[in-house]
Amino acid sequence: MIALRDILIFAGLAALAAAVIASLFPAGEGVSAVPACSDCAFKLTGGYWIRQYGNYASFHHGTREMARYGWAYIDGFPLRIGEIMGCDPMYVHVLDGIAYVSCSGGDGPTFGRGVLNSPPWAVFISADPSRPGCTYVINAAVNESATIQLYVYDESGRLVYSASSPSPATFTFSLPVAGTYRMRIYAPPLLDQWYTLQARVSITASKAAVYTSDNTQDLRSSISLKIFDLTDYWKRGYTSVTVRINPAGASFTLTAPPNAFADYLLAWEDCRSCPCDATQDLYKDQVWRLTFTPSGPVLTRIHSQGGYWHEVYADGRLIYTWKKSGPKNDRYTGTDPTISVRFVSEDSSMNAEATFTKICAWR
Amino acid sequence: MWSAAYGLIALAVVAFVTLYAAMHTPNVASANLADQLYNAKKWTAGNLTSLPRTDNPAHFAVSSGNIVEVKVVNIAVSGGTFPVQLPTGYKLSAKSDNLLYELYLNIISCKPATLHGGAAVTLYVVELRHSLSQLPWLEVYAAVPRNVTRYYSWLYNLYTVWGRPLAVGLDPRVGADVNAGLVELVKAEWALVYDAASGTTKLYAAAPPSAPYILVVDYPLAIPLACP
Repeated sequence: MIALRDILIFAGLAALAAAVIASLFPAGEGVSAVPACSDCAFKLTGGYWIRQYGNYASFHHGTREMARYGWAYIDGFPLRIGEIMGCDPMYVHVLDGIAYVSCSGGDGPTFGRGVLNSPPWAVFISADPSRPGCTYVINAAVNESATIQLYVYDESGRLVYSASSPSPATFTFSLPVAGTYRMRIYAPPLLDQWYTLQARVSITASKAAVYTSDNTQDLRSSISLKIFDLTDYWKRGYTSVTVRINPAGASFTLTAPPNAFADYLLAWEDCRSCPCDATQDLYKDQVWRLTFTPSGPVLTRIHSQGGYWHEVYADGRLIYTWKKSGPKNDRYTGTDPTISVRFVSEDSSMNAEATFTKICAWR
Repeated sequence: MWSAAYGLIALAVVAFVTLYAAMHTPNVASANLADQLYNAKKWTAGNLTSLPRTDNPAHFAVSSGNIVEVKVVNIAVSGGTFPVQLPTGYKLSAKSDNLLYELYLNIISCKPATLHGGAAVTLYVVELRHSLSQLPWLEVYAAVPRNVTRYYSWLYNLYTVWGRPLAVGLDPRVGADVNAGLVELVKAEWALVYDAASGTTKLYAAAPPSAPYILVVDYPLAIPLACP
């Protein structure tokens, strides 16, 4: 018993002495040294503070300088020269000799900035004029789960196509008739965009002009081929149209074609200075019709006459001859999206050419 | 009794002092950015083949990371026609302690070009964005089949076995391609060009026209990119 008491007293006294010695170390004189390292992370508790100097930053405890680093950043922002800050506890990340200090803990500084742009919504439009009509493919997505709706209106505001699909969505639709359309892509509240879709046929021609109604003038010095664009009449619901083409009022009556994207009447004159009989034979030497059908552009012969020989080429191939030996095709089917037509006369000054290209544009 | 109490008090004082000292002594952990970068890239490399893929460019644009953009094209071989996925864009993101590793790669265009020596090549123009300003280990390789016909019939066989479109360079693992002895990796000429007007960096790489894809290597990460 006595021995145990003595041992306990001795142990207690020894511990007390050790505690007194040890307590001198962190609390009073001996402060934990701030690690001097170039790449490390540590936490400081106690009265530490930092002062930024012109070419280094010092960690202080009381009045003693403990360590030096290249510069000090507090929560991502560098200290100004002469600036002082301190907090308890203090989280320090040292990377390449620069001290990044945070007072709120966490993961410390982050290196690398985000470069993956992710806008709240995106719409990608592509169009294919080589398929029936104008075939549009719309890719749309929003960065949360939502239903994307798509509406397409024609010039008179009629809804011609609508669809909805969860994001990310792919819509494929075909505009069957040339024209200007408005498209709305709608996914509230993130996405509400309007686009203009232009489905049309672009015509490049020589010695030719395009009309959208009758033209009875004699324009032989400059124009041998009159192109009448009938698409609008069919769109407005006419079942047949009569086109007057020369000063005598000669006319051709055409009926509405089914499912046509665009429709043209081509009237060509073969002779520059012929004393035509009361001009009633003008622009009647070759009369053809060009219709963009779902299966491609179709060229059909309507009327031929004249004293000179003619050649008619489609896409560079001879398809019809007049007063001459050669092919006598009344119909030619081309491939989308382009067809070219060339009229060649014995009077070469009247040679005319026109290229029709289906264009599917948007903006 | 009293001495026992003295002993316990002394022990308590010792425990307090020890704990106090321990709490106030900085516990130093090493921070190594290079290791963090390597780990992030290694993680990305290990997950590259299993990342989600999309053929919808809008979906790719709004995604915030770790997604592959593919384009599906049909390839004709003697046995028939089969679809393959061509990887055309990547959004990769990995976080490792203090480091954010993000890489954005997207093919802008592919065009035929001629080198100074007269060799015909395909010029890959790739938009490149990187979360760290530097790419210390960037290398570009072109994957050239030793025998183009054999390579595509091998792809066709894989397609018939798997029954789904496979991604060129990505799907049968890039290494597997090389090991099968069908593809040889040759160094491709490349250049990084920073365009201040648009603030984008473009990677130009010239690969032989027969190469089905190029490999952009940020070691240990190797990213296949193919031209549609």
